[in-house]
Amino acid sequence: MLTRLTGGEVVDPVNGATGIRDIWIRDGVIVDPREGEAADQTHDVSGCIIMAGAIDIHSHIGGGNVNTARLLLPEHHKAHLPRPAATPLSNAGWSTFQTGCLYAQMGFTTVVEPAMAPYTALHTHLELADIPIIDRATLAILGNDDFTLSLLRDGKSEAMIDDYVAWVVGSTRALGVKVINAGAAAAFKENVRAFSFDDEVPEYGLSSRKIVKSMQHSVTRLGIPHPLHVHANNLGLAGSADTADVTIAATEGVPMHLAHLQFYGYGTQGKRAFSSEAARLAESVNSNPNVTIDVGQVMFGQTVTISSDVMRQFSAIDKASPKKSVIIDGDGNGGGGIVPYSYKRNYYGTLQWAVGLELFLLIANPWQVFFTTDHPNGAPFTAYPEIFELLMSSEARDARAVELNVAALEMTTLASIRREYSLEEIAIMTRASPAKLLGLKDRGHLGAGAIADIAVYRRGKDIAKMFREAALVFKNGQLVVKNGKVSAYRWGKTLRLNPPPDRAMVKRMKAYHEDRYGLPLEWFTFPDSAIDRDEPFMEVPWNS
Amino acid sequence: MSVAWIGSQPVPLADAVRTAAKLLASSRCPVFSLDADVHGTRSAIALAAVLGAAYDHRSGDAVAREVALFTDHGGMFTTPGEVRRRSSLIVLVGDIAPAHAELFKGWGGSSPDLGDKAPRRWFQVSASDRPTRRGKAVVKAVPLKGEGLSLNATLAVLRAELQDRMVAAPLQNVERLKKAMASAQFPVFVFSGGSLDQAGLVMLQDLIVDFNSRHRLSSLFLPDDDDAWGTVLTSLWMTGFPPRTGFINSLPSYDPVRWDVQRMIREREADVHVWMSARGGEDPPKRGSAAVIALDKTERPARGAAVTIAVGEAGLDHDGVRYSSRVGTFTAVRAAEPSPLPSVSAVLRQLAEAMPGKGTLIC
Ligand SMILES: [Zn+2]
Repeated sequence: MLTRLTGGEVVDPVNGATGIRDIWIRDGVIVDPREGEAADQTHDVSGCIIMAGAIDIHSHIGGGNVNTARLLLPEHHKAHLPRPAATPLSNAGWSTFQTGCLYAQMGFTTVVEPAMAPYTALHTHLELADIPIIDRATLAILGNDDFTLSLLRDGKSEAMIDDYVAWVVGSTRALGVKVINAGAAAAFKENVRAFSFDDEVPEYGLSSRKIVKSMQHSVTRLGIPHPLHVHANNLGLAGSADTADVTIAATEGVPMHLAHLQFYGYGTQGKRAFSSEAARLAESVNSNPNVTIDVGQVMFGQTVTISSDVMRQFSAIDKASPKKSVIIDGDGNGGGGIVPYSYKRNYYGTLQWAVGLELFLLIANPWQVFFTTDHPNGAPFTAYPEIFELLMSSEARDARAVELNVAALEMTTLASIRREYSLEEIAIMTRASPAKLLGLKDRGHLGAGAIADIAVYRRGKDIAKMFREAALVFKNGQLVVKNGKVSAYRWGKTLRLNPPPDRAMVKRMKAYHEDRYGLPLEWFTFPDSAIDRDEPFMEVPWNS
Repeated sequence: MSVAWIGSQPVPLADAVRTAAKLLASSRCPVFSLDADVHGTRSAIALAAVLGAAYDHRSGDAVAREVALFTDHGGMFTTPGEVRRRSSLIVLVGDIAPAHAELFKGWGGSSPDLGDKAPRRWFQVSASDRPTRRGKAVVKAVPLKGEGLSLNATLAVLRAELQDRMVAAPLQNVERLKKAMASAQFPVFVFSGGSLDQAGLVMLQDLIVDFNSRHRLSSLFLPDDDDAWGTVLTSLWMTGFPPRTGFINSLPSYDPVRWDVQRMIREREADVHVWMSARGGEDPPKRGSAAVIALDKTERPARGAAVTIAVGEAGLDHDGVRYSSRVGTFTAVRAAEPSPLPSVSAVLRQLAEAMPGKGTLIC
């Protein structure tokens, strides 16, 4: 079947200037029609803009910790159901089913869960497989497990480290690798309470720097398309900007992605010793083109923080609101903490909000900065439409700032920044650039050959409304959303890399698990059939 | 061998499925008692959503108590693998479900290879009036109890002792434990859902949080029933809620009183009861007036059931995915003795397809 979208303004910076042109779909793929060919089906989308389906590179949508948050906080769903507008979390897609629907309604068609603990990979993939409509992917966490740390301590060869990283990525069906406060979870088990880039993990004598650099180089050597995804040390602390700085400096020109940089945008100036260093950090990103970051924007209201940074989460349990939390000392790279939190319009909340926006607006190149709230840590993903509005309208920012803490805003440069994102920049930041960063050549743009993941938005004065309710959304050419409501269900794929396992490494893994855990390796790995869905995975090629 | 019955009459599977589908289609208030692997649970919840039914686990009360520890309080936890590798001091709290004996055997036969790497020591907190029965054969633990103290009271005294507060009467062996806790780098308290009541669970977690202000200490939660905990986790991602959830206008709502399926049957709110026993060896409840559709691992019709369909067990008759306390997460299980018995999931899909005008499940 040949489908034609006609009359819409196509915003697709990868394939040329914005303008009105037709988009054609055949067999789930965008095509150039043959001369004189007629469409079987035509959608008149005059007055609308057309973009590729959006891609979220960092959103905690499934897996052990997300599920524990559901267990800890059933009331966040229930209590707020009758008044969804008042509390963003009630819209946040607490179930896998809602997650797929709500993302699709905003025109998002691919979402990456960025924190899969390798030993709970099966759980993560079962959840991801139950998220309807969209494609998913996930990053495997490394950098805190005994096997990695022992390889590094014992000075094993790069080839062996690469074999191990490849085995983890392959056996867990990941699309990339992430480190989370590298070394800190292992150190916390030995009662270490603070951990910076050059601190060492007891027993191993390894610094966080050494772990991060080793993983970064391994990922690069292996040709994993997505650069090492780094959740740095000292998240959320006053002075964490220094940590971000040393981490960026340590990249030494090699690609690295820094997650939710907003949470590292803080200095120690002012009466409260909590200030914005966003301008300095943005400058640092601007002058290091090998570095990409996502923001982790904070929005106000109730949310829950979900992180595998167990040391950081433990330090936050006194601030839990409501007063309950779960802290898990997990296996190797697993575990973490679930701490409910409410962002208030006070000094601290306002400063965090402003730091995020400063980063968005002061990082010059939209190919380097990615659109996230670190869902649900800074805000639920349902807050995205409001954030698009703040980025595209300095007036909207001014209007919002009036309600916020003046002393905090005065510690930032936000009021002086008049930049407004263009639709093209939004399309780069949320479509083209994520596809490039993740190595997904088949999406993120609307050129012939791309899969037909397409979002159509009705142009209007109300930017938030425009992005909240897509007029039409196509996933692999299938119409799944009409007028902001899901109109058809389908199952997407989980995108993964599939490196062939090194046989010596598999042998080593078998011996290691039998010796250290007293169980055969099969207890920790799984066949595709365990997901119980037709072809649940789709392979993404490696860089050659 | 028969695999399906209407009443006590053996029938072809398709007939039993058709009759069950009719019962469900005409039901005002259908309820599910779940007992299956992850895929059986997924299919059951998907069918419950289509029907506007309520679901609970077959052992609803025990599961509800374990769930309440999290929904009402939270805590600090670790995994069985981390205990094996890192904990040189293990404190059992109350009587742990005997299903976990294998796990303890594994710890007993190994030494930690991480952390302090000291030989393992075992203690067991218990009530004074109850000799510890379960688990005793597997490991030898130093008893911690006080004259006339219940398990909860013992925990309360222990918490005071660990904070160096005054206590009226010291617990037996408490100085030994304090010394052990001072030297162990990553001690762990092990409990199971059946070993403590709600107040005891909270007491234990408060003790752990206190202790973590200066030293490390964690707990290991061993569910009373691994499959039931797997059902809790599956329910959470599918609907956002633990079992005791019902669907109203296809939206899930969680209410541990309203959707207590045993209560709904007893009080005759439910009129059709889909009762599962993928592991067999149980009978549907006697009370209530609901027509029972039994998905039972059985060779004969389930007691009092309107329809019985024989099902297999994941990991025995067919492949599947089950929660395992050996690893603290889901694990893929292969058929140990493959049989033609259908999985719960397969039967439920057939049921959904046989429903008039209902179509296939989205899951
Ligand atoms: Zn994150």
